[in-house]
Amino acid sequence: MTTMPTTYSDLFYGISPYSWAYTGVGLALGTSIVGAAWGIFITGASLLGASVKAPRIRSKNLISVIFCEAVAIYGVIIAIILQGKISESHFAPGSAEYAKNAFSAYSIFWSGISVGLSNLVCGICVGITGSGCALSDAQTPETFVKILVIEIFGSALGLFGVIVAIIQSGDASFIKN
Amino acid sequence: MATIHPKAGTGDICSFNIQHGFAEALIRGMRSSFLVDPDYHHLTQCETLDDVRLNLTETDYSEALEDYNSLTPNTLQKAAVEKLVTEFQYLRTQTVEPLSTFLDFITYEYMIENVMLLLKGALSGRDINELLEQCHPLGMFKESTMRSIPTFDNTSKGYSDLYQTVLVDTPVGPYFAQFLKESAAHRGSDSRNVLEEVEIEIIKSSLIKFWIEDFYNFAMSLGGDTAAIMGEILRVRADTNAINITLNSFGTPLNEPAMRISDRKRLYPAVGHLYPAGTTMLADVSDEEELGRVLELFPQYSAIWSIHSSGNGEKSIDDAFYERDVQMLELAFESQFHFAVFYAYVKLKEQEIRNLVWITECILQQQKDEIGKFVQVFSQHTPWRESKRR
Repeated sequence: MTTMPTTYSDLFYGISPYSWAYTGVGLALGTSIVGAAWGIFITGASLLGASVKAPRIRSKNLISVIFCEAVAIYGVIIAIILQGKISESHFAPGSAEYAKNAFSAYSIFWSGISVGLSNLVCGICVGITGSGCALSDAQTPETFVKILVIEIFGSALGLFGVIVAIIQSGDASFIKN
Repeated sequence: MATIHPKAGTGDICSFNIQHGFAEALIRGMRSSFLVDPDYHHLTQCETLDDVRLNLTETDYSEALEDYNSLTPNTLQKAAVEKLVTEFQYLRTQTVEPLSTFLDFITYEYMIENVMLLLKGALSGRDINELLEQCHPLGMFKESTMRSIPTFDNTSKGYSDLYQTVLVDTPVGPYFAQFLKESAAHRGSDSRNVLEEVEIEIIKSSLIKFWIEDFYNFAMSLGGDTAAIMGEILRVRADTNAINITLNSFGTPLNEPAMRISDRKRLYPAVGHLYPAGTTMLADVSDEEELGRVLELFPQYSAIWSIHSSGNGEKSIDDAFYERDVQMLELAFESQFHFAVFYAYVKLKEQEIRNLVWITECILQQQKDEIGKFVQVFSQHTPWRESKRR
């Protein structure tokens, strides 16, 4: 950049597309994993305590942990896809190619937010439900499958985020030099 | 008296499990150790205590009974209480603040009972070892502390000495301090009180009152579901105490007009649905009829009172209170991520122990028609559960 920004629009536009893009990748990965980890500790603590008196629930209720883990995997998949669209280029700001790169960068950033936030809350949701599942399975085995259905619906939330992120970033691609 | 401020919040559904998830899951696992409908059915069909023992070996009590050769109501109670205490202490070691303080609050009630038992025993000159055997294991202090309690006199100077040297370091110290402060302010330091023989009961009621208020303030400062559920449980408990104090005071010096306002009113806890309007009215009550009229104004208690006033020994007011309590405590298990389940578990286990002792006593004394008169815990056939199903 050879000119100093004079308006906010200049300042904003001057932020490198790469920072937007890689921040998006980081958010996609990071917030998804925060959600998954949150869910796993919520369900894991209850699972540990409940299996003291009812050891039979140990293996079955690992499904709740697996559902939470899936949320983290969604984040990893999207992060890998997103970062695959980014490639090095040297275009002057203001050129058409720079504009195309900027568009791709914004789209990658917000895809990352979409998938990250959805997976964050999905992970928490599956975790809390999994905790209830472990506790009630310990008392009444018949309730396990029913609560599992709730968890399946909960993990669909993360899937929504993945689908939208894929669509959002579909047109994004960096023009190589 | 300042209530201990909780060192952390309980956390809501997203963060409760960080600190307390394991402990809550433990106590919910222990819920499966309650006796169920078929167990009670078999027990009430038993003819001898050996049959009872045989049936109990198929429940969670099998290990607890191994150490005892013969089964009598006393040994059964002892074994069951020891089992409860072992579970409670295991749980207590797994908890962190503020849950550990909450569990400690549950034990203070038993500590108060033990202190009063020792003091009363000292008055009647019983042997200290015999008294220590009878103390409730959940409320034990250090052995040296407990041994020194009966050595004090039953005068106001004696009590202050007892407080300053022995009780001040124990968790029930603040309650005793408050009792002494109020007592001194009320009576003056040199007046002999008329109620010497009921003095011990008054001390105990006062200590329990301060404990309920302290526990209530602590639970409310925890906030969230714990405050909502535990607050309700303690309010109802405070009201039960107020009603019982009034009922038991009829026919004792505490019921005289002069003593009612000054002494009896001071025993009513400052929490509960009956406070402050109801307790003011209760303070003026002189007999059962007036008590009935006061309770008519409070819908939740008029139902219980009508059981007492109309029933002819079919069901006592204690039974009615137990039934209502058991329903509330069972409902505490219906939601997750709060502390009230711990209190509910201890109280429901106590109720179960009472049931077992009742059943074995009835079998021992061959009074089979009385055997059904207990309040079952987590029964599928309680009236309120059945009416919900319909």
